[in-house]
Amino acid sequence: MPGWAGRRSDVADQDLDALLARMARTKVNRRSFLAASGLAGTSAFLAACSSSGGTPSPSTATSQAPSGTAAASASATSTAAASQPEVESELFMYNWSDYISETNRDTFKERFGVETFQYDVYADNEELIAKLQAGASGYDIAAPTAEYLPAMVQEGFIQKLDLARIPNTKHINKSFKKLWWDPTDEYQVPKDYGTTGILYRSDLLSKIPASWREFYDMVKGEASGKTVFVTSQGDVFTFPLKMLGYSLNSVDKAELEEARKILLECAPHLLALDSDTYGDKMATGEAVLTLGWTGPLGQELAPLVEENKAGYVVPSEGTLFWMDTWVMLTDAPHPNAAYAWLNFIHEPEIQAEETNYNLYATCNDAAKEFVDPEILNDPAIFPPDEVIASLEGAQDTSGNTQRSDIMEEFKQAIGG
Amino acid sequence: MAAIASAPRRDAETSRFRSRLVTFALVFPTGLWYVALLVAPLLIVLVFSFGIRARNGGYEPAFVLDNYVRALSRPEPFITSVQMALAGTIGCLLVGLPLAYFIATRAGRRKGLLILLLVVPFWTSFLIRTYAWLIVLGPDMGLAGWVQTLTGDDRFTILGTPVAVLIGLVYGYLPLMVFPLYVTLERMDRSLVEASKDLGAGRWATFRQVTLPIALPGLVTGSILVFIPMMGEYVIPQILGYGKTYLMGNALVSDFLENRNWPNGSARAVGLIVLMFVTIATYLWFVNRGRGSREVSVL
Repeated sequence: MPGWAGRRSDVADQDLDALLARMARTKVNRRSFLAASGLAGTSAFLAACSSSGGTPSPSTATSQAPSGTAAASASATSTAAASQPEVESELFMYNWSDYISETNRDTFKERFGVETFQYDVYADNEELIAKLQAGASGYDIAAPTAEYLPAMVQEGFIQKLDLARIPNTKHINKSFKKLWWDPTDEYQVPKDYGTTGILYRSDLLSKIPASWREFYDMVKGEASGKTVFVTSQGDVFTFPLKMLGYSLNSVDKAELEEARKILLECAPHLLALDSDTYGDKMATGEAVLTLGWTGPLGQELAPLVEENKAGYVVPSEGTLFWMDTWVMLTDAPHPNAAYAWLNFIHEPEIQAEETNYNLYATCNDAAKEFVDPEILNDPAIFPPDEVIASLEGAQDTSGNTQRSDIMEEFKQAIGG
Repeated sequence: MAAIASAPRRDAETSRFRSRLVTFALVFPTGLWYVALLVAPLLIVLVFSFGIRARNGGYEPAFVLDNYVRALSRPEPFITSVQMALAGTIGCLLVGLPLAYFIATRAGRRKGLLILLLVVPFWTSFLIRTYAWLIVLGPDMGLAGWVQTLTGDDRFTILGTPVAVLIGLVYGYLPLMVFPLYVTLERMDRSLVEASKDLGAGRWATFRQVTLPIALPGLVTGSILVFIPMMGEYVIPQILGYGKTYLMGNALVSDFLENRNWPNGSARAVGLIVLMFVTIATYLWFVNRGRGSREVSVL
């Protein structure tokens, strides 16, 4: 896939800060909390304890100054916002690091006359929630992963959206509508989505696993001692539960017991439990199979992907998909600018620019014709329809102690 | 007369008051520091450990013992941590004692340089130093690769095993063992060793009966200094152990972040603190008892 290489050289032209920010943005890093969790945990804990602090202003957090390439906005055509209330001159966004296209940011500022576009970052959903729990306010928009929405609604962190003001949601594919986390589609607008699957080194394996069942056999067979699992519980359980034909969110005692046996059976064959550097391990060949995400395809594995030596497959039994969402915070100080953004970002050409920029699949059908064909035709990013039908959204099962006990037993069994 | 007599007394009172004020002023910042950053967080952890997990994770006030029951029903991370920390402490002793002895007694003019060399690694981030061991022990150009070529067994690996974690632990905490040992050995009166030899004791007997007892306070301090942080170690097992050696630190991360079960995590943290107290108290008691009996035998 030459497209990957092309993007890499683009990356090389940017300055180091941008590169680091870009690396930090990849799904691998931002979904995991290994390296940073010592710090993140502490800061989350402190944040949660310091609720008396009141209202930290967005400007106190890490912020990225928008870079001015006004030329990009020349292509912008004013279509919306004519009948909308006047848009404020500021927008405060709280988001994953480097997760929107800077071109789009500049276009938005130009078109709506927004002078201050504040972009603060959090490392994971936990941090976002912890900050909000500690009373952080002043933000208009955030982008949590969907399974965290019910908790955020219950805690009163986000507000209902007036969908009449976001007409572009008509472009959203119906597979991404009315899902369990927001049955009435009132609280979020889909941002992008991705899957959990199998990364492989085709040059070091006799075949490419097509299903969790084949993965299971290979872990115990030719990939023994060379398989990595990411650490997060929901992703690890996806493998045995989907292989057995159950829901990956199952909290059924007997089903989890079956899953437990499979995990414990695989445990002695694992090379590592690692969400941060599995791309490196795959790149050196130390690992040949990984239960993980697509992040390394555009990073550590990019040269190998280009030579057809590495790839990613969504197992045929189905797998987990995650979806990040745009939400408006309850006390959003600039609601009109927020609505303008939510509608703007789903204009087909604007949305396509997002996809081309951050390499995550869009839920917006109309945008696809403007997406770079290399990206659109990459099944690792845009799974085919029959695969999409087999995907299952994650639920928040972190309160189930049977799952956490099995996970702990599994981790101990790996140590052996 | 009365006026004359009371003047010095008032002076004394004033100076006593002043010295108390100075003491207070000196102690206050430290006291505040301890209360705010040590006592208060510990109390919060203690309170949380009796709570329940709120519906959306976190903490909800309650008074239940379930968290402790659960913590006790899952003792494996405790056990693994104690084992690793003990092994690490012994490792630090085995490497640190000869090193400290050498620097203190044999290094001569190079003493300062050697001490400096021990400190230099601290100028670099601990994380980076730990990552460096990935190369040193790794299969590409490291120890594992060397053994692989030597034995022809290409499955041989160090990284991702408890041995790698142990090496990382000993490396990371060695200076904390060496410095207290060095200080005690450096102050040792060399004539005691000469006297011992004059009185017919061999090298080993001299070491066992003279040097070791003198080094004991440093040995105890060093052991405690390395044992405690090793019990809570999180980064080294994660990086060098490939996340496969599951210690208390890793268990706490799962509890707090992955399961968002703060009460469970807090109960385990309290368990860890208690375990630490007990271990150290036992250790001190054991060491002091040993020393007491030896003093008696000397008499």
